[in-house]
Amino acid sequence: MTDVFFSSWGGEIVDNRGKEPENYEKIKGIALPSQFAGKEDIRALIGWYGIVLRSRDVNIVDLCRAYITAVQSESCGKCFTCRVGTMVLADTLTKICRGNGDEGDIDALVRVAEVIREGSKCNLGQTGPIPLLDAVKLFAEDFKRAVQDKKPILEGNYHYKLTAPCMDACPIHLDIPRYVESIKEGKFEESLNTIVEKLPLPGVVGRVCVRPCEMHCRRTILDEPISIKYLKRFVADDNLKKKKKVSFKQTPSEKTGKVAIIGAGPAGLACAYHLALKGHTVTIYERFGEPGGMAAMGIPDYRLPRNILGFEVEQIQKMGVAIKYNTVVGKDIKLSDIEKESEAIFIGIGAQASTAMGVEGEDKGYGGFIPGIEYLQKINVGVDPYPEGKKVVVVGGGNVAIDCVRSSFRIGKEDVNLVYRRTKREMPADHVEIKDAEEENVTFHYLTNPKKILTREGMVIGVECIRMELGEPDESGRRRPVPVEGSEFVIDCDILVPAIGQAIDLGLLEGKSGDNVKTTRKSTLVVDEFTMQTSNPRIFSAGDCVTGPSALINACAGGKRAAVNIDCFINGKRLEATDDDYFDRLFNDVKVFDPREKIGFLGGRKMLHLPMLPPEERKQTFAEVEKGYHFLEAKAEADRCLRCYRVGMIAV
Amino acid sequence: MVKLTIDEREITVEEGATILDAAKLAGIKIPTLCYHKRLNPIGSCRMCVVEIEGLPNPMTACTTPVAEGIKVVTNSERLQRMRRETLKLMLVNHPLDCPVCDKGGECSLQDLVYEFEIETAEYRAEKKEREAIYATPLIRYWPDRCIMCLRCVAACRDIKALGAIDIVGSGFGAGISPVNKEKCESCGECIKVCPTGALTENLSRYKGRTWMVNRVKTTCAYCGCGCQLELNVMNNRVIGITTKDDDEVNRGSLCVKGRFGYEFIGSEERLTKPLIKRDGKFHEAAWDEALDLVAERLTAIKTAAGSDAIAGLSSARCTNEENYLMQKFLRAVIGTNNIDHCARL
Repeated sequence: MTDVFFSSWGGEIVDNRGKEPENYEKIKGIALPSQFAGKEDIRALIGWYGIVLRSRDVNIVDLCRAYITAVQSESCGKCFTCRVGTMVLADTLTKICRGNGDEGDIDALVRVAEVIREGSKCNLGQTGPIPLLDAVKLFAEDFKRAVQDKKPILEGNYHYKLTAPCMDACPIHLDIPRYVESIKEGKFEESLNTIVEKLPLPGVVGRVCVRPCEMHCRRTILDEPISIKYLKRFVADDNLKKKKKVSFKQTPSEKTGKVAIIGAGPAGLACAYHLALKGHTVTIYERFGEPGGMAAMGIPDYRLPRNILGFEVEQIQKMGVAIKYNTVVGKDIKLSDIEKESEAIFIGIGAQASTAMGVEGEDKGYGGFIPGIEYLQKINVGVDPYPEGKKVVVVGGGNVAIDCVRSSFRIGKEDVNLVYRRTKREMPADHVEIKDAEEENVTFHYLTNPKKILTREGMVIGVECIRMELGEPDESGRRRPVPVEGSEFVIDCDILVPAIGQAIDLGLLEGKSGDNVKTTRKSTLVVDEFTMQTSNPRIFSAGDCVTGPSALINACAGGKRAAVNIDCFINGKRLEATDDDYFDRLFNDVKVFDPREKIGFLGGRKMLHLPMLPPEERKQTFAEVEKGYHFLEAKAEADRCLRCYRVGMIAV
Repeated sequence: MVKLTIDEREITVEEGATILDAAKLAGIKIPTLCYHKRLNPIGSCRMCVVEIEGLPNPMTACTTPVAEGIKVVTNSERLQRMRRETLKLMLVNHPLDCPVCDKGGECSLQDLVYEFEIETAEYRAEKKEREAIYATPLIRYWPDRCIMCLRCVAACRDIKALGAIDIVGSGFGAGISPVNKEKCESCGECIKVCPTGALTENLSRYKGRTWMVNRVKTTCAYCGCGCQLELNVMNNRVIGITTKDDDEVNRGSLCVKGRFGYEFIGSEERLTKPLIKRDGKFHEAAWDEALDLVAERLTAIKTAAGSDAIAGLSSARCTNEENYLMQKFLRAVIGTNNIDHCARL
């Protein structure tokens, strides 16, 4: 049963006009939610792939007028067809809606709409006229009547948002087409400014991001995605090389206050930055002697050199953010004491503890048994965690496991193994990283699970493993590994590193009598998904301690979101989701990127990969493996961008 | 090398060349407007659309690199329709003031409208006023004539590496604006590449039409670079400077002095006779009288105080030959090495 009476979405026409609602044919390829912002009924959707109509009260001509007017206002002005053409369309449609339409208007609409669609430079112009062309064709009578009746049409109520597949996929919604185009035009500083409007760590994210944007890059349909990550890194590096001060636009709020942040990781830093932009006084409490959290302690230098993170944190400090190092909240200072001195608190403590493997002997404190996070933390501060050991077995298939094996070579370990219970296909680690580790000669043991730690005199001497095979899919959709009876075997090793998951250390919370912050069974903090506020109205939280171990960019996005709401909180404003948030939700249902789309352009221009140090050389050192783009390479890569801007609008 | 077919002709070009480059090589003409050979492809005008066999969407020849084996069509009913429609859009609110436009007669838009036989400005849009804020005492911006091809922006950024101007605003209201006004050197590179009369020189307005002037090729005398330029001469008066993209040395670029500093040639205040100062006042004199006086005074100084009491300072505005003679005169006739040149100061 569907309540949609017409859809042209994706070119698949479903026309239920003249049918009783119970006989409505179901629309395909799109799920249109019934409400916007939980209060307004969605009566129609008009956008890049067509029109979806639910309410018969929506006037199709006025819907087109409102949509094309929105497209015109978002047109960048850089090509004739879109800049002028959409204006001609908008003016003609406005004229018709005011009851002043002329006979030739509809023909002119089609002619101009066609040339905008076929001839525009970017996807805004290429998609903008699609729903209008659908409407003029399939609702010809309505248009004819509007012109002939010469009566003004009542203006409807609409909301719209400009998006792009990459922007929509990016957790912090960076304006990717804009900063990529700036690079193409050689305006590197402008490009960086676009990024830092939202993200204070461009050099960091430009190196380690898991890049959901690239997974949604429309160019993939033609050849390969554009390298959004490397381009981001390029503008950050270019700025660092020129030693320019990044120009931050600080616009203090009416009321400013004191905010304490626990944890100088990506979430805390992003939150601090956005609070500083609004003029608040920010103090960060950090348990380690340097900033960055997991970005510093969990990510090895060969992927993210220290000076890059250092420079970007320095910029945040220059905005007036103070960082108190070597201070563990809950031990050196109580959360309740901090609460007394601050108007709001942000908790961004990450997921810094290791999950247990459930293997016999892992809690005995054997020499050579080192949890993954601890192993990386030690290496990252320049200490060999266990100099006696030479033969390493790392257990796990995530990025931490890969970081552990690759780092092991770099501190002089000779024989490095990775044990993973599923196959390479199911491994959650970045496939590029897996390839790099293979090149560096890590021995991968797939479909293998540790069973027992073998020791002699309290020292690890090996691990007994069992072979696995893949059974039925589990709740994650991946096939569940099942042990193969009697297939036990031993891998000799003197260092065993479990890296199967991270847990959250909630030691700082003081419970019901203190902060009263609610937590889940998985030991994550409970927050409002839009405002990041915890059950204690003055305490906000984001990052891994809310989501569980996740990507760095998610932590930055959460930190930014918390900052916006802390600013509202201090200024006595109501904390609530914005229209943008609701559009995010809507676009999640409507899908901004359709990998089945056919793009009728010439492809064959592949992504420009970064030059890398050869495996034999790079595995000896912590020097950065990937070299950045030369500026001509960056411009050439940016030139591959299809600029897939598009407008989505709903009638309410 | 890449092999492709354009209009059923097989062409081999270097990898990285665009379809437009390949067509040019083969002598096939594709209409263009924003394309300029000294600039990176802009792709704003959409006139150079071509069809590629097997692909539903036309692509711009100026921005699309060639690919092995593609079959390109540069002229079809559909492409001509698109070009005509696009041209009609360019004419929306473009004033048809060609009779008083300095660019009349050498305007790319005029030429294309003529070529495509577009007789009326069919489409209309409510006019949005653009501010004529982009202007220096030497450069005038006519916002209504501007079709936003963005050549000026590209030239300022890519040739002069200044980035003084850029597009500001969005949609139909977008315009060219001096975003970094302090960086503008009034070099006129923007005027040089403007295909319409949207950017004109403020000095020589209404002095002569393009077909009325005689263009005399010469070398700029402001410094030693040797930039090539053309004096636009009418009735024995220089009324403007133009340049050619193919000329060696400067390839059409000039600095503010080279492009605008020509008014002195016909200046009323220019000296045409030597002056001799007597009793604190200058008096006109005959050449022989003036030269005799100079020779007499120099000889007297040399006899009384020696050759090194005299020094010569010559000018960057003189030609190489004149400067050579100056130093020869100081060294061989006066007998001193005290010779210098204003460009060193």
